[in-house]
Amino acid sequence: MLFTGSEGRISNQTIEVINLKKTFHSRQGLWKIKKKETEAVKGISFEVKRGEVFGLLGPNGAGKTTTVKMLTTLLLPSSGTARVAGFDVISQTAEVRRHIGFAFSGSRGLYNRLTAIHNLKYFAELYAMDVELTRSRIPELLELVGLADRGKDLVETYSSGLVQRLHIARALLHNPEILFLDEPTVGIDPVGARELRQTIKDLIALDKTILLTTHYMAEAEELCQRIAIIDHGEINVNDSPEALKKRISGDSVIEASVMASQVDFLLDQLKQLDGKIKIETKRSIEPEKIILKTRQPEKALELLSPYINHEHIIGMEVRSQTLEDVYVTLIKGQKE
Amino acid sequence: MMVRTLNFYSLSLLVLQPLTFSLVGMLLSRAAGRPMPDLVYNIIGGGVMGMWSGIVFTSSWDIRGDRYTGVLELIVVSPTSLFTLNMIRSFTNVLSGFFSMVLAFLAAVFMYDLPLNEANLPAALVSLLLLLFSTWSISIFLSVFFAASRISGHFVEYLEMPVAILCGFMYPIRILPGWMKTVSSFIPIRWSLEAMNESLLGLANLPYLLGHWGLALLLSFAFIAVTFLMQKKVNDIIRVNGELSAI
Repeated sequence: MLFTGSEGRISNQTIEVINLKKTFHSRQGLWKIKKKETEAVKGISFEVKRGEVFGLLGPNGAGKTTTVKMLTTLLLPSSGTARVAGFDVISQTAEVRRHIGFAFSGSRGLYNRLTAIHNLKYFAELYAMDVELTRSRIPELLELVGLADRGKDLVETYSSGLVQRLHIARALLHNPEILFLDEPTVGIDPVGARELRQTIKDLIALDKTILLTTHYMAEAEELCQRIAIIDHGEINVNDSPEALKKRISGDSVIEASVMASQVDFLLDQLKQLDGKIKIETKRSIEPEKIILKTRQPEKALELLSPYINHEHIIGMEVRSQTLEDVYVTLIKGQKE
Repeated sequence: MMVRTLNFYSLSLLVLQPLTFSLVGMLLSRAAGRPMPDLVYNIIGGGVMGMWSGIVFTSSWDIRGDRYTGVLELIVVSPTSLFTLNMIRSFTNVLSGFFSMVLAFLAAVFMYDLPLNEANLPAALVSLLLLLFSTWSISIFLSVFFAASRISGHFVEYLEMPVAILCGFMYPIRILPGWMKTVSSFIPIRWSLEAMNESLLGLANLPYLLGHWGLALLLSFAFIAVTFLMQKKVNDIIRVNGELSAI
C-alpha cells in the first residue's frame, strides 16, 4: 500500500534522505572557550523502499548511529531533509514516532529489574496502547521472538541474545511499519546471532521496512536487499550486495597459509604474474597469509601449486569476493 | 513505583533521613535551652526534609537512570511526551515521599505527645495537600532540567539544602533575613508549609490561611505553566546536543 505524505505526495519510498548533515558543537579546555565542531554526517542521501531491508554499514564512528538517531527524531539534523513514512523528521516528529520502532544494540534500553512482560507493558503504556490489545499483543510478540517461556523472568537474567530479541519485541509493540535496528547482533554468540537473523527474516515476511546498521558483512549480505557503506560521515556506495561485489571486480580470492620464512620468496614468485592482481599479506603468528585478488585465479594456482608442501604453503583456499572484501576495499581505499 | 520504593535505599531515605533531621533538630533545641523540642518544626520539619530529599533525589535519579540505561531515548521517541511522563513520575515520588511525612507526624503525636487540642486539623490537612501539590510542581520543574543535559542532575546537590533553608523546613520563616524571605516568597512550598505549621500550632486564622493557600496554588500553577512552555525548548536542545544518552 502506498502512503501519502503531509504534503499530499504519494510515495513508495518509506525513508527519503536528502543531503542530511549533522554537526556537533562542543567547547573544550578548562574554561570551555575553545569551540570544536565535529561533522558526524556530511550530507548523505539515500532512500529505502517499502518492505525493503536496507543496510547501513560502516566502521565505528562512521556516522551510522547518528544517521539512525536523526531518522528516529532523537537528533535534529544540522541541514538537509529526511522524511520517514512520508513525514518530516524535523517538523513532524510526533507523526514519525507513531510509524517507527527502534531497537538498540546491547543491554541498554530496558529495565533489568523488571520482567520482559513488565517492560513490554511499560512501553505499551508509553505508546498509549489499548489494554486489551496490549494483553493479546505481548504473548504474540514474545512468541515471535522466541521468548514465550521467558516472559516472566527478570531481564537481568537474560543472555545478550535474549535481550536483543526482547528489544525487537519492544520495538514491534505498536506494530510500526518501519523498524530501525542499530547493530542488533553485536556482542551475541554465533548461535544467538543466527536465531536473531531468523527473527529479522520473519519480520521481512510481515512486510516491515527495516533499516539495519551493522559491522557484520555476512549479516548484511544475508538480510539486506540494498546496502550503503558509510565512512567518515559520507556514503561511499549504495547498491544491492550483488552489484556491490561486481562493482569492485569479478576477482577471485586466493588465500594461502604460508610459513613465515617463505613469505618473501613467494611474493617474489608472484611477481611473474601478468595482469591486474592485488596481493596482501597478513603477518601475524605462523602461518602467515598471502591474499591474492585476481581475475585469473588459474594462473596464480599454477604458479603456487609446486609450493604446496610443509615448507612453503601449508593450506590454500580459493573463493569468490565476499561483501567483506568489498567493504574492506572501499574503507581502505578511503583511508589511502 | 513498587520497585523504586520498596528497596533498602529508598526506605532508608524515607525513614532514616527524616529521623536524622528530627534528632539533630531536637538536639539543637535542647542546646538552645528549650526543655522540650519544638515538635512542629523539629519532628514534622524532619519529615518534610525527608520528603523533599526523597523527591529531589528520586526525580533526578529517574532521569539519570533512564539516561544511563538508554531508556530515556526510547521514552523520547514514544508518543508520550517527556513532560507527561515526568508529571506522573514526580507524582509517584511525591506520594512515596509523603510516607516520611506520615511517619514524622505519627512520631510527633504518639512519641512526643504533640498537642492537637489547639491545632486546626482540617486547615492542616488542606495545607498538607497543597504542600504535596507545590512540591510536585517544583519536582516537575526540576525534572525538565535533569533531562536537558547529562550534568544537570548534579545540580540536585546544590538545590536540596538551599530550598530547605529558604522554605523554613525546620524553623519559622520569620527568623530568616529579609532578602531570604523575598527569595523564598517565590517558592510555593514555603507558603503551603507555613500554613501547615501554623495550623498545627493553632496560630492561623482564615485570612492568613486563604492568603497562604492562594499563593501556594498560584505559584505552583506558575511553575507548571513555565515548565510546560520550557519543555518544547528543552526538547529542541536535547535533539541538538544529543545528550539523551549517557554515551
